[in-house]
Amino acid sequence: MQPQWPLIIFTALIAWSMGIFATQAVLSLLGKGKKIQMPSLLCSFVVMVIGGVAVFFHLQHWERIFNGFGHITSGITQELIALVVVFVFMVVYFIMLRRSEDGFIAKWLSVAVIVVAATTDVVVAHSYMMPSRPAWDTFAWILAVVGNSCAAGPLAIAIISALKSDNSASLGLISVVGTGVNVATTVVYGLSLNGAIAQFDSLDYYFDPTVPTQKMVDVAATSASQSGLLWAGAVLVGAVLPLVMAVLARKTKGTPSVIVSTISLVAVLAGAVILRVVFYNMGFTVLTAF
Amino acid sequence: MQNTLVIDLNRCVGCMGCNAACKMTNGVPIGNFWNKVLRIGPTPMYEGAEFPDVEWYYLPVQCQHCADPECVKVCPTQASHKAEDGTVQINKLKCIGCQFCVMACPYGVRYLNAEERVVEKCTLCEQQITQGELPQCVSQCVGLAKWFGDLDEDPSMKSFRGGYNTTLGETVRDFTDADVHTLVDVGNHPSFRYILRGKQWRGKE
Repeated sequence: MQPQWPLIIFTALIAWSMGIFATQAVLSLLGKGKKIQMPSLLCSFVVMVIGGVAVFFHLQHWERIFNGFGHITSGITQELIALVVVFVFMVVYFIMLRRSEDGFIAKWLSVAVIVVAATTDVVVAHSYMMPSRPAWDTFAWILAVVGNSCAAGPLAIAIISALKSDNSASLGLISVVGTGVNVATTVVYGLSLNGAIAQFDSLDYYFDPTVPTQKMVDVAATSASQSGLLWAGAVLVGAVLPLVMAVLARKTKGTPSVIVSTISLVAVLAGAVILRVVFYNMGFTVLTAF
Repeated sequence: MQNTLVIDLNRCVGCMGCNAACKMTNGVPIGNFWNKVLRIGPTPMYEGAEFPDVEWYYLPVQCQHCADPECVKVCPTQASHKAEDGTVQINKLKCIGCQFCVMACPYGVRYLNAEERVVEKCTLCEQQITQGELPQCVSQCVGLAKWFGDLDEDPSMKSFRGGYNTTLGETVRDFTDADVHTLVDVGNHPSFRYILRGKQWRGKE
């Protein structure tokens, strides 16, 4: 399937936004990073809104969503519900931050925000888990989206933390853990694509008479052509490079510098986008007849 | 009720008359197809066989009007829905063009109409079958390979109607249950049936 750019941007940005939201809740739970709480909340909100706007460019008749939208088994409906819940939690978070005397929110809300952010990642990723497309219909895809959040969230907050000169957040360790998780989940999804190839239905030498000399689809050849993009782009640049930089930055024992965190974040986001391009390029239907 | 087609692949000559009939009757845009005829093969007739011991068959493919359609589950506006006659239809006025149904269909038979910006596919010529007529691909099948009927009412398919006011029971050669196939099923339970005798069915079911 052709890459659907609005959806690629949407899923990447939602993963990023949820990563920021969950990371700041973790820091609040630990009682660290007081200065970064409000800027991080605003950042995660803005990123979520941009992602939400991006997805509208995918819809051909978005004005019709006011006419009977909301079929509950639809992934789009579930995504919308999840994002509305996130927005409500962001408002509550904002209010509690403003009223807080110590600059942190209640522990129960921190835990709830982490759960809601992770659940939103799962819901967004689950929308694409369809038995019709073996490369998509894997739990590893959900892990990959959560992994993107784990890496992009701490790195974004590391930038905010450095800009705010707040060294109390222990973001060096959190960044190492987050980028490490991203490496593992990205590799697992990459490996799962090999398993997906076996699930495609082959009708042997089947041809479309309107293009009689052309095979309908060559899954193995497409898979081979995507391997460079997957392993060099999504895994090496998008996951391993940020991990290496996070490990090296951790040796400074403080908050990673703006430059290091920015380079790492750009690499993670680029890797997330590349992974989604591979996701679409490998997204053949189980029987590609058209 | 489950209106559907049964296709006798031993009778299909691959003329693509159904393809042209569908295009003309439904005004299918250039580049879009509501049905196609695939050539499956040539493949060896038996293990180790070499030319000329090869065989092939033609496979007309279109929306399979599934019993449990994935496209209906993912539609956020219920534009894609199961009609009372068992066919899967699209209410174009409700379609927001999100194309998740295109992604969810295991056979890729749905197309975005770029002009109307809605998704379209085979309707089994709903405008005709509701009036008691046949889908155009059935009535114009020169090989009398395509047959239309209600699978729930007649699981034997003998009463299914084809061109020239004939029925499947009085026209096609005998077949066994082992000769009846479906396209690969990933939980959607396609309603179309394909009859293939004396040749090996290629692909999963």
